[in-house]
Amino acid sequence: MMELLAALENSGFGSWLRESPSIWAYPAVLTLHTLGLGVLVGANAVLDLRLLGYAPGIPLASLERLFPAMWIGFWVNAISGVVLFIGDATTKGTTLVFMAKLLIIVVGVLVLVAIRRTVYGQGVEALIATPKSRLLALASLVLWFLAIVTGRYMAYV
Amino acid sequence: MSGTLEAFAFWLRGTPVSEAIRVLPWLWPVCEILHFFGLSLLVGVTGFFDCRLLGFLPRVPLSAAWSLMPWARIGFAISAVTGVTFFVGAPDQYVNNLAFLFKLVFLLLAGANALYFEFVFGKRIAESKEGEQAPSAYKTIAALSLVSWFFVVYWGRMLPFIGNAF
Repeated sequence: MMELLAALENSGFGSWLRESPSIWAYPAVLTLHTLGLGVLVGANAVLDLRLLGYAPGIPLASLERLFPAMWIGFWVNAISGVVLFIGDATTKGTTLVFMAKLLIIVVGVLVLVAIRRTVYGQGVEALIATPKSRLLALASLVLWFLAIVTGRYMAYV
Repeated sequence: MSGTLEAFAFWLRGTPVSEAIRVLPWLWPVCEILHFFGLSLLVGVTGFFDCRLLGFLPRVPLSAAWSLMPWARIGFAISAVTGVTFFVGAPDQYVNNLAFLFKLVFLLLAGANALYFEFVFGKRIAESKEGEQAPSAYKTIAALSLVSWFFVVYWGRMLPFIGNAF
């Protein structure tokens, strides 16, 4: 396992990312990662707040359009995350907090999928906030907050 | 000018508050977490409203989108308080930092733009009826908002890279 992580980290790409003084290397990837999370967590927060009953004037149906934006944010972060991982594989790949972060993100995405199915998957009649959707929305906010916590912790690892 | 700033930073860094911020074990990381959460709320909700002004999600009534904005202000408040905390804790890292200067410039721009919109059009938006579309003048404000907040986040991210912090 360590050999694989070391191979990734010491690869041409990993080395370039880590050692290049160009702002298009590590800084650019980090910026993309911050952007992606801004879009994903930001849009998800809007959806969650609405499901929790705030801004009730916003039709739930209209927020279905947020999903493509959230998936784009997710993929930008998944890809930039892989790139960041490669540059520091031996450290990140052996850090418990990083595993926790990935786990939290997986659950967060599953919650988002559950919200899509519960609120938007059953036809127009089901487009109301229910206790279940409220719980999912709360879970979503908590999970993304925890993802930010574990993500920030990575800077100290 | 630079001498005055440096003298100020030196003095600030010597205050008990500044030392406490640096010395208390979890304070800095907690502030960072809150800063990120605050900016997510700010950028997410403001971005949502700006996109609405630009014509996306047209079935969302303007007044409804506007009614979510208190959350953006909460996010801003969280980020502002934690941001000031960072500055007070380590003023030397920010005072001669080019990235921080740019961040402040865009912060002023974003803030002025937001306040202008709020004071000039806020009431009209809050009272707008369903089906009303935003005048195209709002699109300029919305675009400026998206761009300026983006660069506030960008220059913040660049603090240790283009800037010379930490």
